[in-house]
Formats: sequence, structure tokens, C-alpha cells
Amino acid sequence: MAARASYNDDRGRGELDFQSLVDLHYGALYRFAMSLTRSESDACDLVQQTFLVWATKGHQLEDFSKAKSWLFTTLHHAFLESRRRTTRFPHLEISEAEAELPKVEPELLNHLDAREVLRLLGQVDEQFQAAVALFYLEDYSYQEIATILEIPLGTVKSRIARGIAQLRELVLHRSSAPGEAKEGIG
Amino acid sequence: MNRSEAQRVLLLYRPGTAETGDPEVMEALDLARRDPELGRWFEQHRSFQKAMGARFREIEVPAHLRTSILAQAQTQELIVNRPRVWQRKPLWLAAALTVVFACLAVLWLRPHPTNQFANYRARMVSGALREYQMDIKTNDMRMVRQDLASRGAPSDYVVPPGLERLRLTGGGRLTWRTNPVAMVCFDRGDRQMVFLFVLDRSAVKDPPPTTPRLHKVNELLTASWTQGDKTYVLAGPEEAGFLQKYL
Repeated sequence: MAARASYNDDRGRGELDFQSLVDLHYGALYRFAMSLTRSESDACDLVQQTFLVWATKGHQLEDFSKAKSWLFTTLHHAFLESRRRTTRFPHLEISEAEAELPKVEPELLNHLDAREVLRLLGQVDEQFQAAVALFYLEDYSYQEIATILEIPLGTVKSRIARGIAQLRELVLHRSSAPGEAKEGIG
Repeated sequence: MNRSEAQRVLLLYRPGTAETGDPEVMEALDLARRDPELGRWFEQHRSFQKAMGARFREIEVPAHLRTSILAQAQTQELIVNRPRVWQRKPLWLAAALTVVFACLAVLWLRPHPTNQFANYRARMVSGALREYQMDIKTNDMRMVRQDLASRGAPSDYVVPPGLERLRLTGGGRLTWRTNPVAMVCFDRGDRQMVFLFVLDRSAVKDPPPTTPRLHKVNELLTASWTQGDKTYVLAGPEEAGFLQKYL
């Protein structure tokens, strides 16, 4: 919390040194990267690449209070670039989300750990994953998530809604097929 | 709003966020309070959201990551804390001022070429010894004066009687500290030259007296005097009776 207080102080001054910026955000960025890649090495690469971009271009940011959003956006760009995505995700309205919203009993959640959650997130449609990760990882508003991912607000909501719905389904299915729980985690 | 619609709204509900005050969310929350089945679903969903959020935040960050980030930035010699332009200005300004002051100090401390007569005399003699070039070659003093005058050099000089007996070979315009100098060349008759340099008296701060003074400069003997508004230097090979012979 001391670092956050320092961050707020520095935001007031409009400046922050590189090391303090790393201290404040590298953890959250790693978790976001891990949510996207589910690979420790890939996530580390993304975070390092993000801070390298900051080191070379961060000074161009006029409003330093947007440094955190800038870092998340940059990391997401780097992730997309690494995937060499050529197709754009379709815009989905929230009304198109899953028709059924099954109940997830609380005891099912007790058997989940972070690795398992990441594994399940990896099974969610790829276009939903970043929005869902930001939804759970940070206290960003939907508008802030839209800014980071550079997509419309409605698209953010639809992706989160559909992603959460898929995640709930996956948790339920996991309970019926526990043998799969330990597979495929980077 | 029906139950299904309320579920979709509450699916994105996060307590304590800006969305909480949204009218649609408020309506869905109200319905969840009134509809027991929706209420149970909502409670479970909140537990699900809380648990999922906690699990995401439990993702362990590798201990080496921070060090790697900082080390990478350093090893690649990036400017990781690059100040903004306005922050760099004082540094540049300080550097620029340092350079300016250094230059001023050098200029101030270096030996000043003074407008002393000795300096002028030495320059003329050294020039005559190294190489001199006449602008006009003639034994007609009138033409020499005209040529010097056209070049802005002193031309109304007085030639001492002794020099008038030597053969005039020509003349030229020289410069000393931006001041024009008239050079008049005489042939002593033995392939030795005698030079008369004429400068405005005001060009030197310590002009010689009206009475000629002898002074050896390098290989030449000089006689210096002031007459009128002109300062004269006669330079030639050292010989006995120099003054009596040429002045």
C-alpha cells in the first residue's frame, strides 16, 4: 500500500521514476499476461516487453495518471501481435449471451485454485479472455476496460458477460469431469 | 424486467463500482430481493464472482520478474527515466551556460594581442623577413602613393631624405589589427631591401617619440619615430651609421 500511496503522490506531481512504476504495476501486468497466455515464460516476456516499450516511449505520455492504462494497453497490443491475429472479433451484444445461466454451487469454487482458474479461462472463447481477466483482476470500470482493449463499451460488456457465462459452465463441467482439472496448465 | 433479463444485468454486477447506481442495475437488484429464486442465483453468482476474483489475484508473480525487468532496461542502456522536455531544459541550459562561460573565460584569460607599438613593429619585421608582396612595383613614388591611397593605406607619408637616395622598388598595403599599413620598399643596391612602414599614429597606444629610436628586431635593425599623425618604422639589415645613412 505504501507503493500505491507513493504512486498517488507522484501522480499529483505528474511524474514517476521507472523503478517505482515497475514496482507498482508489474504484478498486475503479469497476472493479466498470465490470463492471456497461461504460460509463465510468455507472460514474463510480455511484461518485460511492455516495460521496454515504456522505457522508450513512455515519456511521450502527456497524462501520467494514465500510465497504468497505457501499460495494460501496450501489453495487450504485444499479446495480440504475438498471436499475429488477422481477424477482428465480431461485435456481440449482451443479449446474445448464454441463454442459460446455470447455478454454481459455492463448494465447487472451494476446489479451484489460480492455476485451475487460468486453465478454465483458457477454454473460454479467446476474444472474451482479456476482458474477463481485466474484469476480475483490476477494479477497472467497463469504460476503462474498453479504453485498454480499444473496443466499444458495448462490446466489452458483451465479452465479459459471455466470458463469465462460459466460465461458469466450465466450472460446472469441471466438477463432473475432475480428471481434466490438472491438464494443460503451463 | 423479467428474471432472465435481471440475470443478464446482474451477471456484470460488481458491488462498489460506478455501475451500481445504474437504473437498470437498481431494478435488477430490486427484483432479486423480491424473487427468491433469482435471489438465490444472485447470491451464488456473487460468491462465484468473489471467488473467481480472488483466484485471479492469487496468481503468483515470479520472484525474478522484477529484477529481470530492471536488469533488462539497464543492460539495454535505455533511458528508463527520461525526463520530459521541460524537465530536460534546465540541464541543457546549464550545459549551454557552462560552455558559454568556459568560452568567455578562455577569451578573457588568454593573452590579449595589444595595440602596443612593439607588437606592431615585430609583426612588420617578421613579415618582411618571411615573405613580402608588393602591390605595385615601380620606382615612381607618386604611383606608389596613388596605389596605396586607392587601397586605403596611408599615402601622405614623409620619406626621409636618406631613403630618397635609394632606389624605390614598389609598395604595398599591409594590415595590422585591422589598421592599414603602407609598406614602401627600397633597394639598397646590394640586393638588400630596406622597408618603410607607415601607420596612423592613433593605431598604437604608445607611439614612438619624434626622435628616431633604434631597435633590433630579429635580423633587422629598426628605426622608429612619429611625425605628424603617422608612425614610422624603418627596417633593414643591420649596419653602421644606419640612422645617419637613411634618415
